[in-house]
Amino acid sequence: MPAQTLWMLRISLIYFLLAALTGSLLLIHKAIPLHPSAWALLPLHYEIAIWGWVVQFVMGTAYWMFPRFLKGKKRGPENPAWWMVILFNAGLIALLASHVLQPTQYLAPGGRILLAISILLFGFLMWNRVASFKHHDH
Amino acid sequence: MPTVTRFFIKSGMIYFVLGIVLAFYAELPGVRTGALLLPVYWHMLVIGWISQIIMGVSIWMFPRTKKQRENIESFPAVASFWTLNAGLILRFMAEPFLPFFQGVMVTSVILISSLLQFAAVVLYLIEIWPRVQPRKIPVRRRS
Repeated sequence: MPAQTLWMLRISLIYFLLAALTGSLLLIHKAIPLHPSAWALLPLHYEIAIWGWVVQFVMGTAYWMFPRFLKGKKRGPENPAWWMVILFNAGLIALLASHVLQPTQYLAPGGRILLAISILLFGFLMWNRVASFKHHDH
Repeated sequence: MPTVTRFFIKSGMIYFVLGIVLAFYAELPGVRTGALLLPVYWHMLVIGWISQIIMGVSIWMFPRTKKQRENIESFPAVASFWTLNAGLILRFMAEPFLPFFQGVMVTSVILISSLLQFAAVVLYLIEIWPRVQPRKIPVRRRS
């Protein structure tokens, strides 16, 4: 398992726990009101569940398991892969912070732009690995 | 493929179909329960389908520790499947009725459902966390 995958999977598992925790609190709050501001957890809950858990886990696993190149670096250049991990998580933290702090109007779009760049890097890294080696010479 | 993986994947497929059907129904013109069904089909799709497929496939494909190789049907994985699905079923039976019934019965079902779902995630993490490891390259000894 490459180091980039290791980081993405471990972070996504932590987000899975956080998503379950916020989801459980919200569900209990529906039946037994816990605190007036409990609904503020809702946008955090779904950003954490979708981006932090599902998307990050899938990206990390795909980077690890998809067919590797037969020549050169097995999974392509390493620097863009590290930037994929860093930008994804920086973008997600900015996005989550925008729901909690609301300090500037640029935090949420900035976070989404970082997530988008990370996903573009993922596409760049994975494109040639979506291949059948029977017909391609890599 | 471990039995628990088959359970996760097949259960995930059932929730996928149920989630899509319910989402389609909620969008039909004249259906007034759409807002009540929204959390139900969202959780059917994100937890019932996507998360269960991820959990099942990772339990199957991720490298096992030496201790885990002795028993591929490990307790945390099996317990995670049953607690998650019991929690989801209880949730889907009770959540849409919360605005109408606020009795002890519905509240207890929601509480139990919430705890079961959280327990399922913790059990899954107990199973999978030790398996997210860098590959150990064996050291070759000189003969």
